[in-house]
Amino acid sequence: MSIAQLEAREVELEAPSGLWREAWQRLRRNPGALAGFALVALFILLALLAPLIAPFDPREQDLSLLRDGCCPGPSAEHWFGVDDLGRDEFSRIVYGARFSLLIGVVSVAVGLSVGLLLGAIAGYAGGIVDSIVMRLMDIMLSIPGLLLAIGIVAALGQGLIQIMIAVGATQIPIFARLLRGSILAQRENDFVLAARSVGVPRRTILASHILPNAISPVIVQGTLALATAIIDVAGLGFLGLGPQDPSTPEWGTMLTDTTRYLQTAPHLAMIPGVAIVLSVLGFNLIGDGLREALDPKLRGRG
Amino acid sequence: MLRFVVRRLLLLVPILIGLSILVFLWIRILPGGPAQALLGERGTDEQAAQIERQYGLDEPIHVQYWKYVQTVANGDFGDSIATRRPVVEELKQRFPATIELALAAMFFSIVLGIPLGFIAAKRYGGAVDHASLLISLIGISVPIFFLAIILKYVFAVKLGWLPTVGRLSVLIDLEHPTGFYVLDAILTGNLEALWDALKHLVLPAVALGSIPLAVIARITRAAVLDVQNEDYVRTARAKGVSPGRVDTRHVLRNALLPIATIIGLQTGLLLSGAVLTETVFAWPGIGTWLVGAIRVRDFPVLQGGILFVSVVFVLVNLFVDVMYAVINPRIRFS
Repeated sequence: MSIAQLEAREVELEAPSGLWREAWQRLRRNPGALAGFALVALFILLALLAPLIAPFDPREQDLSLLRDGCCPGPSAEHWFGVDDLGRDEFSRIVYGARFSLLIGVVSVAVGLSVGLLLGAIAGYAGGIVDSIVMRLMDIMLSIPGLLLAIGIVAALGQGLIQIMIAVGATQIPIFARLLRGSILAQRENDFVLAARSVGVPRRTILASHILPNAISPVIVQGTLALATAIIDVAGLGFLGLGPQDPSTPEWGTMLTDTTRYLQTAPHLAMIPGVAIVLSVLGFNLIGDGLREALDPKLRGRG
Repeated sequence: MLRFVVRRLLLLVPILIGLSILVFLWIRILPGGPAQALLGERGTDEQAAQIERQYGLDEPIHVQYWKYVQTVANGDFGDSIATRRPVVEELKQRFPATIELALAAMFFSIVLGIPLGFIAAKRYGGAVDHASLLISLIGISVPIFFLAIILKYVFAVKLGWLPTVGRLSVLIDLEHPTGFYVLDAILTGNLEALWDALKHLVLPAVALGSIPLAVIARITRAAVLDVQNEDYVRTARAKGVSPGRVDTRHVLRNALLPIATIIGLQTGLLLSGAVLTETVFAWPGIGTWLVGAIRVRDFPVLQGGILFVSVVFVLVNLFVDVMYAVINPRIRFS
């Protein structure tokens, strides 16, 4: 076989394993990422099948269940006990998954889409547009995240949509910076130069050379942002800025007044807390796994 | 070096202007407008009109903004609706509490995080390494307020070792020349108060320091692993420098650069986290103050507080950047 043939053979062998396929194979061998997928799958199942899983109505109060003014712990009928208004804690946790998942996904979608749009504009336009957009992002970043969210909720009023906007807004500058930096880095790459020199149009270069390579850090960040969003949403809920209707089974809101019952009913604080930790941990594990799997420096090693 | 500092200071100007515009506009887009916000929920339309004249809210918006900048520059953030006291006075009273808590948290996370990351890197791939990675992963997955609740439950409620709320026991007398209780106790030589203030500080500081701890440990590990294989480290070893000296003078010293950056970046998280931690431990700082202000819709407090905290955050970042230049000769001499 000639050298040219050998090279052709090599190319053929490597060809089917694209970036994504390879990443997926590495991800499958990463026990951490698999645990993350399992946690997130459980979380999504709870959210989707809540009416089938929850044995009680999460808002239904039964004050006759209370003993000495507060709340009996886990029992055969109420797996996670009942809260201070006699509502079934297990059902509230199951329905709470819906709110955490919904608010988390929508707010990341808000932050991601606005952030990516601004980042792409800044990175591709450059010059004065770039300066203005990035200074705006700097100003947003100069307000500590939770305070920015608090300010937005205080201005827009409490409610599901408002929380989504508030938490999403805190993530806009992160995504904008990330995509802009990524585009700038890719623009100088040899393969972009090569594409340009053989006459590939600008738009095609952006769409098929720059963006696919710039997008993998965005996917990693997006997964990690879901974790942050769930924590932030719970934080707002904990501070009493959650959904307007206080009977809404939102995990952070469920934690709000529990410090008062720590002595008599610690389960009220522990159960929603553990639910938050497990869902956040799931997204963090997937995010870390994806980062390793998509890292071009590690490609071809696994 | 001087040019670097001057450039960095100039970059501050657009940020501060933008920040003031944002906070200025924020109160003007509130439902019902600023007059309603200043009056609270009980205000009538007549009162609102009067307030609008009194505060010049019927003037063109750029005139209003200019006046706002002037009053803020004079250190006037208006009066709190709830207490009728100047916002600045309450700020002065509560700020030291938050700073004390943040410093304690930072101290905790640095003193524990750097050695933890260092040991993990030295035993790369070993049990300590895996354990520290796992702990730091869980560390960043636990919401700070939940960790605070767990700590409070275990050490204050169950074991009764530490106090549950506040900065000082009611029965202890302490003069407050500075507002930093630990410092106050040392300055006045009040040992009983010092012990009590420290005991109150432990749980909130550990809770607030947990995320920076996890992040610092992770970064230290990565930085040490990076530096360890550098040529100059091998050279130092080859010429017979003792292992301890190589670790401190060559490895750790160079690893400190990324660590210092990440410590600076934690300030924003620390200020956000303080709001949550203070709420759990009823710590009378900026956080509980702002949360209380949201509940009664005390907008002058929110406006002043958020602006003030953000400016502090920006200044801390500036300080970190300058310090970074000081410890990094590559920036210092360029």
